[in-house]
Amino acid sequence: MKKIIIGDHIVKSFGEGDEQHNVLDGVSVEINEGEFVAVMGPSGSGKSTLMFALSGMDSVNGGKVIFDERDLSTVGENELSDLRRTKMGFVFQQPTMLKSLNILDNIILPSMRDNRKNVAKISEKARALMKRVDIAELEKRDITQVSGGQLQRAGICRALLSNPKIIFGDEPTGALNSKSAQEIMDIFSEINADGTAIMLVTHDAKIAARTERIMFMLDGKIVSELKLPRFDGTDMDGRVEKVTAKMWEIGI
Amino acid sequence: MYNRIIRNDILKSKVITLTTMIFVAVSAMLVSLAAILVINLSGALDTLMKQAKTPHFMQMHSGEIDIARLTTFAERNNKVDDFQVIEFLNLDGAQTILGGSSLANSVQDNGFSIQSDKFDYLLDLNGNIINVSDGELYVPVTYMKDNTTKVGDKAVIGREEFTVAGFLRDSQMNSTLSASKRFLVSKNDYAAIKSLGSIEYLIEFRLKDLSALGAFEMAYASAGLEANGPTITYPLLKLINALSDGMMIAVILLISALVVAIAFMCIRFTLLAKIEDDYREIGVMKAIGLRVSDMKKIYLAKYAAIAAIGSILGLALSIMFKGILLENIRLYMGESENSSFAVLFGILGILLVFLAIIAYVSFVLRRFRKISAAEAIRYGTTQEKNRGTKGFYLSRNRLLHTNIFLGIKDVLARKRFYTTMLAVLVISSFIIIVPQNLYNTISSKGFIQYMGIGNYDMRIDIQQTDNISEKGAEIIKKMNSDNTISKYTVLTTKTFKVKMEDESEGNIKVELGDHSIFPIEYSEGRAPFAEKEIALSTLNADELSKKIGDVITLVIEGKEKKLTISGIYSDITNGGKTAKAVFTDNSADIMWSIICAELSDNSLVEKKVSEYADMIDFAKVSDIDEFVTQTFGSTISSVDKASNAAIVVALVITVLVTLIFMKMLVAKDRYSIAVMKAFGFTNSDIKAQYVSRSVFVLIVGIVLGTLLANTLGEVLVGAIISLFGASTFKFAVNPLSAYLFSPLLMICAVLIATMIGTSGAGQVKISENIKE
Repeated sequence: MKKIIIGDHIVKSFGEGDEQHNVLDGVSVEINEGEFVAVMGPSGSGKSTLMFALSGMDSVNGGKVIFDERDLSTVGENELSDLRRTKMGFVFQQPTMLKSLNILDNIILPSMRDNRKNVAKISEKARALMKRVDIAELEKRDITQVSGGQLQRAGICRALLSNPKIIFGDEPTGALNSKSAQEIMDIFSEINADGTAIMLVTHDAKIAARTERIMFMLDGKIVSELKLPRFDGTDMDGRVEKVTAKMWEIGI
Repeated sequence: MYNRIIRNDILKSKVITLTTMIFVAVSAMLVSLAAILVINLSGALDTLMKQAKTPHFMQMHSGEIDIARLTTFAERNNKVDDFQVIEFLNLDGAQTILGGSSLANSVQDNGFSIQSDKFDYLLDLNGNIINVSDGELYVPVTYMKDNTTKVGDKAVIGREEFTVAGFLRDSQMNSTLSASKRFLVSKNDYAAIKSLGSIEYLIEFRLKDLSALGAFEMAYASAGLEANGPTITYPLLKLINALSDGMMIAVILLISALVVAIAFMCIRFTLLAKIEDDYREIGVMKAIGLRVSDMKKIYLAKYAAIAAIGSILGLALSIMFKGILLENIRLYMGESENSSFAVLFGILGILLVFLAIIAYVSFVLRRFRKISAAEAIRYGTTQEKNRGTKGFYLSRNRLLHTNIFLGIKDVLARKRFYTTMLAVLVISSFIIIVPQNLYNTISSKGFIQYMGIGNYDMRIDIQQTDNISEKGAEIIKKMNSDNTISKYTVLTTKTFKVKMEDESEGNIKVELGDHSIFPIEYSEGRAPFAEKEIALSTLNADELSKKIGDVITLVIEGKEKKLTISGIYSDITNGGKTAKAVFTDNSADIMWSIICAELSDNSLVEKKVSEYADMIDFAKVSDIDEFVTQTFGSTISSVDKASNAAIVVALVITVLVTLIFMKMLVAKDRYSIAVMKAFGFTNSDIKAQYVSRSVFVLIVGIVLGTLLANTLGEVLVGAIISLFGASTFKFAVNPLSAYLFSPLLMICAVLIATMIGTSGAGQVKISENIKE
């Protein structure tokens, strides 16, 4: 299986001198094409930092990150932007959208940077995606006029619009109630079934249980891993139980 | 504790604090300078007119004079305190040679006088009454300013030799706006040169009480005394003396008003942004029970500190600069009695600015009361709404580059926020364009038409001579045989009696001739065409309270002549009180004639002027451009200087305000910038968006500023120009500089400031800002 991301002994530290503190302390991680993985850990364990490092949003102090066969440390700032825009998708916990644009415009924003001439085609595709996640009627709304769940769906549409190789989700369901959260996870499962790799950062066992591989982080290190069969809609309780058991075992 | 908070806060936002302080300092400086100048000007002017004992009423007269009759009138009129008749010897400019060059090209009527006995003294530069010895010549101070001559120079008048012994201040004729200049010689020398020119009499009165001036003027006019020449009164002299420095003060006041406005906007803007930044903390402070007045104190203290330092700086600057600006007043009028007062008034002015700032900050801080603690803690920001961008969607945008679209969209979505920057840019382009248009207007040839002077190339003035009409005819004969002269006209001025509303009689000077050949601009109505028509200058129309269509009655040789007013025009010539008519009259004496001519080839003007000047020795021949330059030259060049200074000031304001605006915008937009970056927008994309915002606001600002300049600016400048006697006024715009170079300069300034101001956008870290 081809690897989309390889993180090799990544070190990321904050502060200087005696105050210096490694948030990522030599983390190594690999994600395959089309894989659905989750990173779990308590607050401050470094899971979001790992995601920022793997997606090139943050530079690292040691080790290296290979994305789609390219070493990110050798790639310039502008090319990193291009990679993020064309090959990665992001969904954050908070609705990271521009207040001055409506829902549809927020979704097509990254794609419009290079393809202004194809605005009709891009908008069409965005509308199709919005229909798929059930927010077709909201395209002209301001982002303050819709619910958190609807906003998160819009965020997923934005992430999907450029057919990325991988979608990063940083607590994408963290601000939602459990029903909305499961609906969002259904959408992620569908996307993954179509072949897009997904990496979720979460501390919710129910969310992690929907993926096929879970990495557990503690104090800047990956301390354990749990593999699960591909989720087919059945045995949800059993999967959650396995995840929580593992969490007990590690002590998180 | 306050000290620590203020210090930390100022250190964190150095650029913004410094800029605000600069604006406060500049406004304080300007207000203080204006105050110092006003006090000095009025003081110096009073001192000068007191020392010189300026006459309250003066009638110029040429021709026969009956001194005994005048003396009797003065003795019998109980309003008169003192009376004298002074001789003013008019000499052709070519007869006066100062330090090697003659005054032939001077448009001033340069004449000679002896020191008066009773009042209207000519003073030296120390304010003392000059005691002139034989062989000495004292020269009007204006010729010192334009470097025509210096002390010790040889002067030749006619065949007599003199030494320039010094310069004199003349409380009547100091200003370049006054058409005559008096040179001072001793009694013996005066007698020696007397035969070279013609004598004009200055019939001068000092009144016991200046408020009786109006009644006295009436009494003089109705007594039928000598009146062949302009009448000048004390208030008019005061106005003329104060005008050029007064205009400078007006400009300073105008600029200081604008800078104060900008300083206020900066304060409002930085304060609002700071409140926005501290929104959550304010909520928390409110929640834990701090009183609003306590919180206000912290913010108020910071601005009080900035304003205090700015004010002190402004005061120091104004004391530094006042010398340069006072130079002209000192030269022409001397030291003011109350100059020590002046600084006090400057300090008072600054105190006013300081208090206004504190009051304003306190006013802006009222919104603390409206902040809901719960909302502030929950959301951390005010809940902004998008308004007015309906129909402007990215999904429908094919035309604009996405970065440009986003820039414009942001401006439209947050209009209120950008209003401050817009207002400053509007003011800046206004400040750039208005003085420049004013300069263009007053230096353009068409402008003199607003001033009561037609658009001709050469004028020949025949006055203070006998047989004016014959001499005029002589010149006309020459002109008829001169094929380089394409057209000409003769305008003859005579004095008639006019019936006032209360049936008393006054004098009016009427210029007779064909007024359609070299038309002037009429503020209302048109030139007189028919025998029964007359046009009045604005000052005359005001004084007689007449308007278009009204009838005035002239009394000519005892017979009444009724004339309908066909037009009203502005005039700066001959004291501004003139009239124009076409009827023929052989009764009254001619006061003077002018012959105006246009040449078929413009390049010949200089040659023709000297040719006619050589040919005619009884008249003054002048090139109209020269006439304009000498009359308005100093005004034009000061407006030119002012307009250049205005451009620099406006550009500095633009750069500073754009800089702080962009810096604050980046700080405020860190989250949006992080979002854009996370989704693949590069640093240059972000920069392009900010540039689009500022250029968009700038373009709106330039358009509005230009519109305002051409409407409000025109009205404002019109008000200033009307001081010169011109009542209607249109800008003469140089399109290249007003609509191309000025906007380009502003665009450059804004671009540079935006580039520097948004350099912080590149340093925004996604990971630090994306999590709220």
